Amino acid sequence: MMFHYLLRRLFLLGFVFVALTIFAFSLGYLFPGDVLGNFTGLRNISPAEEIVLRQQLGLDQSYWQQYIYFNQRILDGNWALSFSSQQNVLDEIINVMPATLELASYALLLSLIVGIPLGIIAAVRKDKWLDKLISGLALVGYSIPIFWWALLLIMVFSLTLGWLPTSGRLSVLYEIPTMSGFMLPDILLSQVPYREEALVDAIRHLLLPAVVLATYPTTVMIRFTRESMLDVLEQNYIKTARAKGLTRLQVLYTHGLRNALLPVTRQVGLQFSTLITLAMITEVIFSWPGIGSWLIDGIYQRNFPAIQGGLLVVSSLVIAVNMFTEILHTMLNPLARKF
Amino acid sequence: MKKLRLYYEEYNKGPFALLWKHFTQQHFAFFGFITLLLLLLLALLTPFLTPHDPYLQNSQLLLVPPSWQNSGLVSYPLGTDDLGRDLMSRLMLGTSYTFGLAILAVLGSLIVGVILGALSGMSKGVKSSVFNHLLDLALTIPSLLLAIVIVAVLGPGLLNTIWAIMLALLPQFVHGVRNAIQQQLKQDYVTAYRLDGASQRQLLLFVIFPNIWEQLVLMFTMALSTAVLDVAALGFLSIGAQSPTAEWGSMIADSLDSIYLAPWTVALPGLMIFITVLAVNLVGDGIRVAMKKRREN
Amino acid sequence: MKSSGPFTAVVLLSILSSACQPVLPTTRVHGLVYCAEGSPESFNPQLVTSGTTIDAISQHLYDRLLDINPDSGELIPGLAQSWQISDDGLTYRFQLRQDVEFHQTSYFSPTRTMNADDVQFTFGRLLSVQHPFHQTATEYPYFDSVEWQQLVAKLTVIGPYEIEFTLSKPDSSFLSTLATDFAAILSAEYGAQLISHNTLADLDQLPVGTGPFLYRHYQKDVLIRYYRHPKYWRQLPAMEQLVIDIVPDNTKRIAKLLTHECDVAPIPRLAELSLLSKRDDFVIDAQTSMNVGYWAFNTRTPPFDQVKVRQALSYAINKSNILQAVYFGQAEPANSLLPPTSWAYDKNLNIQRYDPLLAKKLLAEAGYPEGFQMDIWAMPVQRLYNPNALKMAELIQADLAQIGVRAKIVSYEWNTFRRKLRLGEHDSVLIGWSADNADPDNFLRPLLSCAAAISGSNRANWCDENYDQLIAKAVHTPVLEERRAFYQQAQQYQAEQMPLVPIAHSKRFQVRSRNISGVRINPYGGINFTAAGKSL
Repeated sequence: MMFHYLLRRLFLLGFVFVALTIFAFSLGYLFPGDVLGNFTGLRNISPAEEIVLRQQLGLDQSYWQQYIYFNQRILDGNWALSFSSQQNVLDEIINVMPATLELASYALLLSLIVGIPLGIIAAVRKDKWLDKLISGLALVGYSIPIFWWALLLIMVFSLTLGWLPTSGRLSVLYEIPTMSGFMLPDILLSQVPYREEALVDAIRHLLLPAVVLATYPTTVMIRFTRESMLDVLEQNYIKTARAKGLTRLQVLYTHGLRNALLPVTRQVGLQFSTLITLAMITEVIFSWPGIGSWLIDGIYQRNFPAIQGGLLVVSSLVIAVNMFTEILHTMLNPLARKF
Repeated sequence: MKKLRLYYEEYNKGPFALLWKHFTQQHFAFFGFITLLLLLLLALLTPFLTPHDPYLQNSQLLLVPPSWQNSGLVSYPLGTDDLGRDLMSRLMLGTSYTFGLAILAVLGSLIVGVILGALSGMSKGVKSSVFNHLLDLALTIPSLLLAIVIVAVLGPGLLNTIWAIMLALLPQFVHGVRNAIQQQLKQDYVTAYRLDGASQRQLLLFVIFPNIWEQLVLMFTMALSTAVLDVAALGFLSIGAQSPTAEWGSMIADSLDSIYLAPWTVALPGLMIFITVLAVNLVGDGIRVAMKKRREN
Repeated sequence: MKSSGPFTAVVLLSILSSACQPVLPTTRVHGLVYCAEGSPESFNPQLVTSGTTIDAISQHLYDRLLDINPDSGELIPGLAQSWQISDDGLTYRFQLRQDVEFHQTSYFSPTRTMNADDVQFTFGRLLSVQHPFHQTATEYPYFDSVEWQQLVAKLTVIGPYEIEFTLSKPDSSFLSTLATDFAAILSAEYGAQLISHNTLADLDQLPVGTGPFLYRHYQKDVLIRYYRHPKYWRQLPAMEQLVIDIVPDNTKRIAKLLTHECDVAPIPRLAELSLLSKRDDFVIDAQTSMNVGYWAFNTRTPPFDQVKVRQALSYAINKSNILQAVYFGQAEPANSLLPPTSWAYDKNLNIQRYDPLLAKKLLAEAGYPEGFQMDIWAMPVQRLYNPNALKMAELIQADLAQIGVRAKIVSYEWNTFRRKLRLGEHDSVLIGWSADNADPDNFLRPLLSCAAAISGSNRANWCDENYDQLIAKAVHTPVLEERRAFYQQAQQYQAEQMPLVPIAHSKRFQVRSRNISGVRINPYGGINFTAAGKSL
C-alpha cells in the first residue's frame, strides 16, 4: 500500500516537472528579444553561427521537437549562457545556491527552535497574559514588511550601535577557499591560520539576515503550533488521559505534543515557497550572494537565460521540499494514510 | 458548562448578527476594522484630501523634518522628501496605490478563484485532477519569482506586477473554494435540495454560496495582507511601481539614499504598510475567532 | 574537528566580546579595504576610460614612465629616470630605471627586470597592427581620442634601458599623456608567455605589472584582492593586503563605512558629508578635482540638430536648483567644460541664465511653439561628476514641463546603458567626465571632437569642423598664451552651439576611518595606497 502511495506521488512529481519545463520552455518565446538568444544566451550571433545554432536547437522543427531538445540540454547540463557574464547559467546557480540554502536553513532552524516552544506555551496558557503577549508579538511579526524590518535592525544594530556588519557573508579580508559553498563548514575545513577569527566574523555576518528571515516563519510556527495544540488539547483522549490522573506535563508530553506537531511538519513544506520569496528580499538588503540577489540582478539586467534557469531550479527545489515533507507527514501520521 | 437557552435570549439572532456581535466584542479586531474603513475611505477620496500636490517638487524645502521636530513646519506635518515633495500627501496617495491596488488584485483573484473553484468543486474525475495538479505547480512557484518572470515578459510596472500578484493568489482561492464547496456537498441539507430536483447551478448559487461566504471573507483578508506586502515588496525592489509613483514600497526604495539624514522618509511609509497589514490581520483573526465562538455556542 | 570544546568556547566568547566593542582581529590590521563604486571593465588601463576602473587598478598594479606630482601638477620621474626633448619638439628620449621587478603571480614568474623591450611592447600595441596584441582589443579609447597612432611616428629601442619616441608633429601635451594612468607599462615577457600558450586575452584580464600590489583574485561585482608586491622598487607598501570591495549602492557603501567594514570609500553623494563630519572616527579628505557633469544632446537626431532648440533647453533648466538638490552645494556651477582651476578657462564666458521665457521664445523660433517629446537618459550609477542622475533628471523633467517639453526619463543597467548610448539611441543624456591629466585638451578633445564621436566618448555625437580646428591648432602651438587663446575660442564656440549643457564641477571627497593614514588622491586620476597605513 505504501508502495502504491509513493508511486502515485512519484507520478505526480513527474507530471509537475513536465508542466514546469513546458512553462520554462515557453518563456524562451515569451521573453522579449530574439528566441535564439534567449535559448542560448549568446549575445552577438553571426549569420553563419545562427544557421548552425538554429539547427542544433531544432528551431526549424515543430515546437514539440524543440521542447524535447530543450529537455535534453537541461539534462545534459548544457544550459544557456548568462547574458551578463557569458557563463553557463547552471554553473552560476550552483555557485550561488549554497549561500541561499545556508541562510534559509539557519532561519528555518531558528524559527522551529523559537516558534514551537512559544506556540506550546501560548496554547497551554490560553487566554492568560503570557498567551496574549506571545500571540500579539506573533501577529506583529506576521504583519511587518520584511524589508522595512531589515532596515530597522540595520539602523539599530549596525549603524547606531555598530555591533554587527551590514552586508556579505564574511569580511573581505579573510580568504577562505570554497569547498562546499557553505560558509561555516568551509571555514572549519580550511587550513587558514585565522580560522577562529573568520568563524566569529562569519557568524556575526549571519546573525542579522538569519533573524530577519526567521521572523515570518517563526510567527507562522507560533500561530500554527498554538492552534494545533489547542485542537489536540480539546480532544477526548486528552481529557481521558487527564481523568486517568496523569499530570498536565505528562499528558502534554505523551499525548499532546506528538499529535500537535505532526501538522507542523506539513507546514514546513507549505511555508518553504514563502521562505524563498522572503530570502530573496533579505539577500538583496544584506548583499547576501545567494540565488535571490542573483535573480533580482537578473531582472535588472534583463538577463533572460538567468531568469529561466533560476525559475527551473528554484521551483524544482520548492516542489521537492513540498513533496518530501508531505510524504514524511504521511509516514508519521496514520490518519493521513488514506492510500 | 452550557448556558441555559431561552427562546427570547439574544443568542437567537441570525448567524450574521451573531458573528458581528462576537466580532465587536474583540476590541483589537474592532479597532483594526475601523482602521481598515478609514484606509479605504482615504484610498477612495485621496485626490480631494491631500494638502499638497504629491508630485510637486519644491527645491526650497528639501528634507524638511516632521513638524514635531524643532525645524519642522506646520504646513508639512510629516516633512518632505529629498525632492521637497510633501510626505503626508504622498503617503495618503500611497494608500490608493498600495492598499487600493492590493484590494483590486485580491478581488479580481477572488472572482476568478470562485469561478474556477466552483467548477472544480462541482466536478470530479480526471479533468479535475489534472487541474488540481496544475494548481499545485502554481502554488510552488514563489510569488516573487512569478513576479520576476512576468516582469521579464511584460516589462516592469505596477500593473504588470498586479497580474503577478493575482496569479500568485489564485491557487489558494481555488483550493479554498473547492474544499469549502466539497465540504458543503457532503451535508445532508444539500442532498435534500438535490432530491428536491435543484440543478447544479441552483444548488451552487442558492444553497452553497450563502453558507460559504464567511469563509470567503476570511480568505479575502488573508490574501489581502499578502497582497499589500507583495505590492510593497515589489515596489521596494523597483520591479513594481516605478519612481516617482507614490507607492509605499517604492517610496522606501527612493528614500534609502536619505536614510542617514532623514530617517523618517524611510520609517513613515514602512509604518503605513505595517499598520495596514496589521489591521487586515487583526480583522482576519477577529473573524476567525468570532466564527469559532459562534460554533461553540 | 579536533578540539571542539575549547574551540566553541573561544568562538562564543569572541562573538560576545566583539559585540560589545569592535576589536580588530590581527588579520584585519594588515589589510585595507577600499569600497569602490563599481566593477572594473578590464585590468589593463590601455583599454578603458572610466574613472572607476582607473581607481580600482592602475595605481596599484602599474607604474608609468612619468608621474604627476599631485600637489604641483608637475611631471616627475617614474620608471623613466630622465628624459630629453629635441629642439624641434619631435623626439623624446627616455632613460629607464634598472631595478624594477615585475609581479610574481600564480600565472607568471618573471625572469628579468623591466627594460626598454617592455616599454616598446606596451606602446607598440597601441601603434602597430602587426603587434601580436593589437587586434585583441577593439579600441584604445583614451589613446584613440588623443590620436596616438597619428601622433607617434616611430618607437625605437636605443639601448637596454633607453628608448626614443618620434612624433609626426609637435604636441605640447605628449608628456602629460605618458603620465596618465592609461600609460601603464606592461611586461613583454608575460606577453611572450601568453603568445606561446595562445591565451592572448589574458593580457587584459590577468594583469602583470610593476606596481606596489599584485593581482590575486577578482570576482565581478564582488571584490578584487591584491597582495603586496614584495619586490617593489619604491618603498614597500605597509599593507600586506589591499581589497577593493565593490559596492555599487551608495547607501550600502556608507553603511559599510559606518560599521568599519570599509576603511576608505569615495563619496560621490555629498548629502552624507555633514553626517560623517560629525563623527570623530572618520576623516573627510576633499580635493579639487578636474571633472564636469553635463547634459548632452544627441545632435544627430532632430530636433537636437538645431542650435536654437539646444539653446532653448539650456535656458530652461534651473542650474542653481540642481546644484542644491543633487550636489548639496558642494560643487561649482559649470559654464564651460573646463573647471575654473584650469589655466585655459575662459573667465569671460557668460554665466548660463535660467530664463524659461527666452527658452519658450527660442523654441517657437525653431518651429516648436508647442514643445515636443524627448527622452532624458539618466545613468544608473553614482559618479563624482553626477552623484544622482535620476534625481537630476526628475528636476530637469519638471523644468522642461514649464516650456512645454514633455520629457521621459530612461535608465538601464550600467553596461546596457553604455552600449545603447554608444549606438546613439538616446535623445539626451546626463553623464560626465573626469580628467586624466591637467591638460585642457583632455576635456575638449575626448568630449566633443569628431574623433571622439567615432570612438564613443563624445556623447553628443557632435562633429564640427570649426571646433576641431580650434583644438587642433591649440596643441600644435608651443606658446602658452596662444594655446590659451585658441582654447578660449573653442569654449566660446561650444557655449554658443550648446551641443551639451555643462552643469557642475564637483569636488572629490573621500572618507576614511581615522586610523587609516597615507592615502593619496590624485586630482588627475586614480587613488594610491602605497603609503597607506593602519593603526589600532
